[in-house]
Amino acid sequence: MKKFKFASVATSVLLGISILSFATAPANAASDRSGKVCYEEGQVFSSEGVTVTCADESGSLKYTKARKLSGSLTVVCGATEAWCNAMTGAFTKKTGVATKFVRLSSGETVARLDAAKSNPEFDVWHGGPADGFGVARIGGLIDKYVSPTRKIIPKKYQDSDGYWTGVYVGALGFCTNTKEIRRLGLTPPTSWADLLNPKLAKNISTAHPSTSGTAFTTLWTQVTRLGSEAAGLDYMSKMHKNVLQYTKSGVGPVAIVGRGEAAVGLVFSHDCVAGKLQGLPLKVTFPSEGTGYEIGGVALIKGSKNPEAAKSYIDFALSKEAQNLGPTVAAFQVLTNPKTKIDPRMVKLSGLTIVDYDFEKAAAAKKALTAKFDATIAIAPKS
Amino acid sequence: MSSAVLEKENAVALKKPKEIKLDIGTKTALIISVLLLLLMVVFPLLNILTRASEGTGLEVFSNVLKSAITRKIILNTIVLGVVVATLGTIIGFFLAYAQVKLNFRGKKLLHIIALVPLITPPFAFATAVISLFGRSGIITRDILGLTPTLYGLPGLTIVLSCSFFPVAYMSILGMMRNLDPALDEASASMGASKLRTFFKVTFPMLIPGFASSFLLLFVEASADLANPLVIGGDFTVLSSRAYIAINGEYDVPAGSAYSLILLVPGLIVFLVQRYWGQRKSVVSVTGKPTGTPTFIENKVAKFFLLFIPVFIASFIVLIYATVIFGSFAKFLGVDNSVTLDNYRYIFSGVGYDAIIKTSMMALIATPIAGLLGMVLAWLIVRKVRRGREFIDFLGMLGLAVPGTVLGIGFAITFNDVIKIGDTTVLPQLAGGGAIFGGAVAIVMVYTIRSSPAGQRSGIAALQQINPAIDEASASLGASGFRTFRKITLPLIRPALLTGLMFAFAHSMTTLSPIIFITTPETPIMTQKILAEVDSGRFGNAFAFCTLLIFIVLTVMALINLSVRGKSTNTANTPIVRA
Amino acid sequence: MDQIMKDSSSSSNLQLRNLSKVFGQGNGKVTAVDSINLDINPGEFITFLGPSGCGKTTTLRMIAGFETPTAGSIMLDGQDMSALTPDKRPMGMVFQSYALFPHMSVYENVAYGPKTKKMPSAQVKTEVEAVLDSMSLTALANRSPNQLSGGQQQRVALARAMVMRPRVLLFDEPLSNLDAKLRAQMRIEIREVQQRLGITSIFVTHDQDEAMSISDRIVVMRNSKIEQVGLPAEIYLRPASVFVADFIGISNFLEVASVEASSAGLAKVAVLGKEIDVPAHEDALTTKSILLVRPESIRVKRVQGSNQTIAGTQGRVKQVVFYGEHVEYRIETELGIIIAVASDPIFEEIVKVGEFAEFSFDPMRSWLLPADTH
Repeated sequence: MKKFKFASVATSVLLGISILSFATAPANAASDRSGKVCYEEGQVFSSEGVTVTCADESGSLKYTKARKLSGSLTVVCGATEAWCNAMTGAFTKKTGVATKFVRLSSGETVARLDAAKSNPEFDVWHGGPADGFGVARIGGLIDKYVSPTRKIIPKKYQDSDGYWTGVYVGALGFCTNTKEIRRLGLTPPTSWADLLNPKLAKNISTAHPSTSGTAFTTLWTQVTRLGSEAAGLDYMSKMHKNVLQYTKSGVGPVAIVGRGEAAVGLVFSHDCVAGKLQGLPLKVTFPSEGTGYEIGGVALIKGSKNPEAAKSYIDFALSKEAQNLGPTVAAFQVLTNPKTKIDPRMVKLSGLTIVDYDFEKAAAAKKALTAKFDATIAIAPKS
Repeated sequence: MSSAVLEKENAVALKKPKEIKLDIGTKTALIISVLLLLLMVVFPLLNILTRASEGTGLEVFSNVLKSAITRKIILNTIVLGVVVATLGTIIGFFLAYAQVKLNFRGKKLLHIIALVPLITPPFAFATAVISLFGRSGIITRDILGLTPTLYGLPGLTIVLSCSFFPVAYMSILGMMRNLDPALDEASASMGASKLRTFFKVTFPMLIPGFASSFLLLFVEASADLANPLVIGGDFTVLSSRAYIAINGEYDVPAGSAYSLILLVPGLIVFLVQRYWGQRKSVVSVTGKPTGTPTFIENKVAKFFLLFIPVFIASFIVLIYATVIFGSFAKFLGVDNSVTLDNYRYIFSGVGYDAIIKTSMMALIATPIAGLLGMVLAWLIVRKVRRGREFIDFLGMLGLAVPGTVLGIGFAITFNDVIKIGDTTVLPQLAGGGAIFGGAVAIVMVYTIRSSPAGQRSGIAALQQINPAIDEASASLGASGFRTFRKITLPLIRPALLTGLMFAFAHSMTTLSPIIFITTPETPIMTQKILAEVDSGRFGNAFAFCTLLIFIVLTVMALINLSVRGKSTNTANTPIVRA
Repeated sequence: MDQIMKDSSSSSNLQLRNLSKVFGQGNGKVTAVDSINLDINPGEFITFLGPSGCGKTTTLRMIAGFETPTAGSIMLDGQDMSALTPDKRPMGMVFQSYALFPHMSVYENVAYGPKTKKMPSAQVKTEVEAVLDSMSLTALANRSPNQLSGGQQQRVALARAMVMRPRVLLFDEPLSNLDAKLRAQMRIEIREVQQRLGITSIFVTHDQDEAMSISDRIVVMRNSKIEQVGLPAEIYLRPASVFVADFIGISNFLEVASVEASSAGLAKVAVLGKEIDVPAHEDALTTKSILLVRPESIRVKRVQGSNQTIAGTQGRVKQVVFYGEHVEYRIETELGIIIAVASDPIFEEIVKVGEFAEFSFDPMRSWLLPADTH
């Protein structure tokens, strides 16, 4: 409380001073730092309705051209409620642009964007999986926006054409109920091969690749790891015997495993960590043969009513400051901005074997592959 | 009289007389309600039909015949519908039979428990059943040492039967109460045993009731989405397939097409009911009961007849207890220590707004839906002759259309201003930039989803009232609309009451259409519940459900007080058809 | 009430012209009323009488405006009613089920109409009280309809219709739910009120006694058509058809031979071996005809001695029913069973079952009418 008070007093003092000293200067010149030297790449600075971003301009850090922000912003958000809330709240506080969000799954997002194409209701899509952005791009639902901050974000975490940029990364892992695995006389699996153990019959919980990006990542990881679609499907059909049920949602297995209905869930590791934080007896492990990952992105909605603010929001979402909010709201995804703090509960990607995951190829193959999965594996009897 | 005059008179007289016109008030009511229905159901539906006839949607339709998977999904849907409808009707019948034919303590309580599932939020039932009876269920594994797999048809059957049987219960109960006890007495006086009387007299008269509740349950069960998502496992039905298409495959046309297949059972129900409706006058017995109802006193018979109702009631109580306890537990079934964290989480801001706004919007929609339902019922039963079936169908369409389809239809239709030529007819009603933050569209969805319940109970009530009462009012100079306000509405007050209560409960528990039109200004409780279930935080979900149930019960009690308070003793009046 | 009397002194006339009603379409088409014509005079009490399904109620409901005629017109004092909704027609209706509003008190029921007409509340009070008073309902004003007996409910229904000062009063079998004694009493009450006010009234019933005792004229309907319109005495004593004769009261139809015209209005017929002059319907001479003799016109006398055969005017008694003030006989004759009623019987002269009897009737008390060709 005291801190806030101090901050607001300081702000008003600063404001007062700036108004006094630049009383005769043109409007907004007060905080327009565009072109000036700055020190932290990606930082968004905002004052008196003018917003600039600190970016690398041919080797030196300078503030970008100023944007005059006003009005409000609506974000369609695919991350957890708490994370969406924290992000939009921080942006509102920083820029004064009233920012609100609706939390929707990526499929719902695309459906709604498509339905309201003629009069878009959203400005930014934050926190959806890469394949969703791919579909939105094909459907002409998102616009290209190359944020000045993109330079910090590793190339593999962004769309090469600039339609979307990654804000977080999640690695696929095994989420094991420690009590259940002991009951079965096993230890948490550490390889894909472990999952084929007959002792795990009806004890694996995974989502359906048609409905869940998580499960599709699992499927494509097999294809990549084993070298062909046929081999990948073959592995999945072997594992099918051990699968309790294919849930609709990618995080569904966390609760199922947490309750002990199944021993092992195939989920993104951060979802498992969040479950563990709720007191569930869970342990995260990773397959030694290599695992896949997802990228959560951010993109500008085509036809946004407030594109300037939307662009600043995207800049902000990529900044260290914004990304660091994740762990404070129990989101333990790996952050894409390399300057962010590393939380011990996040997975260390460097310690994992990661398969060479080709998102474009995966997106192209998705429809046919899931259909094949549906026809040959999901409906097959289990015993 | 000369023949010339006669001829002239004949000429005048033979002219076909003009149709008696409805008075202005009635006509206005008719036009307004039909316009509302066209706007809120037909228009969005036409828009979505256009979408569904695009590429992949057509593919789905052609796949119905070709693809084994699609056929299997349709078969699953039918199997689920039939199983749930059968079981639900049987449960509903046993409960109704106990209410009418047995005398026991706690009868009123049993009645209330039998209606409780109607206000259950989506997911609550399935989640509680999994926690209690699943592979790691508190009862199955911890007490009985069993690990049954409920996912799929078994779990869906349990959950859906228990969620939807009240529909059957209410319609069969209404029918049984209207059966003239004199018929039983007549049968008994001819030497028939109670059992024979039941099978030869009572049962045949109830068949239309069974049939109509079977069909209603079939429609409800086959269109349900929330439960197949949670407990459906690998048992894919049309509604979950549509969800997969939209959410996983980003394929709205295909999703719409799958959903539209679901309209077929709704249409069949409508047609069958129409057929039955025409013969109903023969079957439905509505004389004022002349005999005294007799109760079954045989102890053994009583025990067996009470077994199922008591079992079901206990089950429902157990489920509710689980939901409420689960809202105070850290993680039900894993860590049962009592905590207020779940409520703290909701009231910390994430849920508070949703609770207030959802309740507000449901409260606005409730009287509109109740009134719309009653006006439609009145127009259908009393006023409109030609096209009454059509109006009935339009009114019921709001419920017959799968929620997902309605939601996307709303999103497509109302996300922009609606213009005829260059003049704006309607401002943008749905989505972020809409007036009142998109609340209008949500109220519209609530209204259109919940008015059918009022319409049905209104029609049932009106059919019990002798039309001579309306005619008496007309012959005393009252216009059609004055008759509706002064005579009809007071007389169908109990039906209105039921209509209002269900409208509110239905609005509060609606989910699938809302997903597509919710905005930052209109957070919805059911959507928050979905988010919590989705991320596995069952405790929060249970807390939301508990609050939702509490709100619904409170509002129901208030409606009951305010509407019933004014009522006079109309219970025993001879207003039934002579 | 007196005010009402004065105001309604100018009674109305009603004309039905080619009035028809067809229900349903195609194969399910049913003609309920088939082109009927009727003139009802001001202040007249007309009864529609007929078996169920003859179209009498449908006709009444068309007059009230609850059914739309398929063809034809309804003129009230020369004004066509066809286009008016029921609430715009100056007619009052009393329903079979009374149709009292169960959620309103007696007073509120009666006041409903005047209030609907937006009459000032002081006037509503005066008029309603006057009507309640005239119907002896004042003491029941605050009761709810379900606390009233059938007769009381009936009176409320009548009061409610009358307070509107209708130009025509319509009654749809209003007495059918009452017991016999109350029915007779209400009949008198209704007739008395109607005559006092001079309101043109139409009354639908299937009860012939009711029709006879209450009406100025009776309209007998059959199969959607008017069979006969006439005074009660005409209907009973001079029926136009076998149907009318049969429907009203008990009839003996005697087959006759060699019909020929006699003096004005009379015909010479051969019946039971005798030739007699009887009053005849104008069509009776041109078509096959039959002789109507009412049971009360037949005298019965025990036959003594040995000449006990069934022939001519002699027959054997099959059944004797004693009613107190009269005895009813069923006599087996050469023309079949004949019913005879002997009123004010002498104990010793009552013929017993199995005995033979001689029967006779005054030819002027019989009526020759065309045999039914339907």
